[in-house]
Amino acid sequence: MPHTLASTDAITEAFRERGYIADRSIATAVFLGLQLGRPLLLEGEAGVGKTELAKVLASSLGTRLIRLQCYEGLDVNTAVYEWNYPRQMLEIRLLEARGQADHATAHDIFGAEFLIKRPLLQALEAGSDGEPPVLLIDEIDRADEEFEAYLLEILSDFQVTVPEIGTIKAERPPRVILTSNRTREVHDALKRRCLYHWIDYPSAAKEFEIVQARVPGAPEQLARAVVAFVHRLREADLTKVPGIAETLDWAAALMALGAAELTPELVDETLGVVLKYEEDIRQVRGETVKSYLAEVAAGG
Amino acid sequence: MLPSPLDPAIVPSGPREAIDGHRVLARAVGFGRALRRAGLAVDLSSEIDFARALGIVDIGDRELVRAAGAAVFTRRRDDRPVYDRVFDQYWRRRALKPNLDGPGTEHRPEATAADEGTPQDAPLPGDERSDLPEDRQGMPIPTDGEADEDEIAPDTVTISPDAYSRSETIRHRDFDRMTAQELRDAERLVDLLEPKLELRRTRRYELHRHGRRLASRQMFRRNLATGGEVLEWVWRRPVRRPRPLVVLCDISGSMERHSRLLLRFIQALSASSAVKTESFVFGTRLTRVTRLLKDRNRDRALAKVADAVTDWAGGTRIGESFRDFNHKWARRTLRTSGVVIVVSDGWDRGDPRLVELETARLRRNCHRLVWLNPLAGTPGYQPLAAGMRAAFPYVDDFLAAGTVASLERLGEILAGGRGADPRRGSEAAAHVAPSPDAVRTFEPPVRVTREPRDPFAAQPLDGRAAGTQ
Repeated sequence: MPHTLASTDAITEAFRERGYIADRSIATAVFLGLQLGRPLLLEGEAGVGKTELAKVLASSLGTRLIRLQCYEGLDVNTAVYEWNYPRQMLEIRLLEARGQADHATAHDIFGAEFLIKRPLLQALEAGSDGEPPVLLIDEIDRADEEFEAYLLEILSDFQVTVPEIGTIKAERPPRVILTSNRTREVHDALKRRCLYHWIDYPSAAKEFEIVQARVPGAPEQLARAVVAFVHRLREADLTKVPGIAETLDWAAALMALGAAELTPELVDETLGVVLKYEEDIRQVRGETVKSYLAEVAAGG
Repeated sequence: MLPSPLDPAIVPSGPREAIDGHRVLARAVGFGRALRRAGLAVDLSSEIDFARALGIVDIGDRELVRAAGAAVFTRRRDDRPVYDRVFDQYWRRRALKPNLDGPGTEHRPEATAADEGTPQDAPLPGDERSDLPEDRQGMPIPTDGEADEDEIAPDTVTISPDAYSRSETIRHRDFDRMTAQELRDAERLVDLLEPKLELRRTRRYELHRHGRRLASRQMFRRNLATGGEVLEWVWRRPVRRPRPLVVLCDISGSMERHSRLLLRFIQALSASSAVKTESFVFGTRLTRVTRLLKDRNRDRALAKVADAVTDWAGGTRIGESFRDFNHKWARRTLRTSGVVIVVSDGWDRGDPRLVELETARLRRNCHRLVWLNPLAGTPGYQPLAAGMRAAFPYVDDFLAAGTVASLERLGEILAGGRGADPRRGSEAAAHVAPSPDAVRTFEPPVRVTREPRDPFAAQPLDGRAAGTQ
């Protein structure tokens, strides 16, 4: 059921129903984004739930999620719109074959049916019939500066000009979520138009809630041990510490193996689910795993 | 664009009746000003946003107000600690919740309309440090002796603040007073360097008559005019840009004589718009100085660097500094496979195995690793210092540095590899992850050859670099 999301508590509640445990600062940022009509820029390490937040938001609002995955070289043709040239060519040939080519006008081949709408244009148009969609611009740091500059324009006016057709303006602007992994600094001009929130790794208690919400049926003891172990790993000096996504994968993997508790052998065997760098795995496997497990057992 | 708070799906809520909009705005602006003083990039529109936010969240809830302000005012993670500090100061004295403890009993003239909330809390204008719960009980905590901290530079990221602080020699250099001659030298170097930088093919294309790929979109488009008959061929080619540079500059004691010139050089490089430069300095710890060097006033920029760095002319921990870089910055600064320039003499107090491990990792993360060593210009120099020896096998280009004459050669090195195999020399070594516990036997390092006529000339080790142009 779509929610009205009229307060931070309503957002927390709606997200929780969908298995997303949001703390109050995230809920506040989302709430303000909706209320002030501002894009929300989410930054955080990989696997802390940035993309997921957009999905949950769309589902909470009962609206569509339109996603634009960014990459270097992303241009207007793939992000906004493109003319379907092959089809236009065919149309010209057809007109010729029917002997109508002489009477044809530009409108015959630059009509809406020849326009391929890419995510940004879809997002602008989708709001005209009902609820505006959630537009997720994922990993904006992967796009290059040229695209960022273009995005600035769209995010301030929510309109696009197609020379052959005219200006297309969103009647009701989409709710925009941008995410970044900080592989580079997003330009200040773009940041200025957005609300900003840094998503940190959650506390152990919150992460435990997340595991329970996302991996239903995981034995409580196992879930607590997994979370405590992952938290210990995050303090260690690793190339890439595990995110929430890894915690969830690990809990699911251990469940699939029918584990009821963490043993050093089990951790060693499944370490590849949590750590993604060979040197990290080598560093942790064996004695370190044992000592961490002992710490975890002592702490919990 | 005016956003739509009237969105029917989103019904504003919260107790707002009692709050005077004008006052809220004044506080929002005041808070914004306080943040700006602390160094955050706050503009009027974020202040207005904040005032509007105060109208729609429950402002009796301190943490909610904090979160709202954070969403509006911060723009990067590093902003957050500064924000929190200012928030605690500002919203303590001027607690926003109306009539928490009954009507105000005291009105200070300087705190206009903003202090209705906490009557007991009437600190002197300079004394803004006490904690909220204590305020309520009329027991302001005395200032904790950090009052001078207000003028912190939020641009500075000291990465390992607690490491080695005891043994560290904390000294400031007066290198910010550089002679005009030195300045000109540094700029001239960059001018020489710019056109020579190695280019990288980007994923963007431009139309070009001599491109090798068909630009099908543009071709269709142009040929629509002729009814789809292909009369004109359109070509495109990738846009090329200089590779980004990352400079890691050693400022430890042994490098003291060279750091002035080198920093000027890095600064001139950062100021140029042709190439993206990230700069770090390290002694016992790694400090990012990229943003500090962006200051248009060059002397002030260097003065800022001098203030930010606390390990001037102290010891060197190359391994630890590289590890910090690899962990925290490599992904952020080397994404598009940049060129890393390390400026160091390789004198290192730390564990050479760590240096080796981290240099190898650094090498795997970048397109090319250039090491400038001021000592390398000395006749008969061999990289025998423990740190240098450990790092040596992973370095692509090893050059002399420290004098203008030798830096000029850097351009040739950075331009190298165009067309030819860009990864030379130590590629095999760099791709073998050394195991830290294996005892490595070092072959005697290759002797750095010199041209007889130019004592400062930098020479790549394998002697091929100059020939690849």
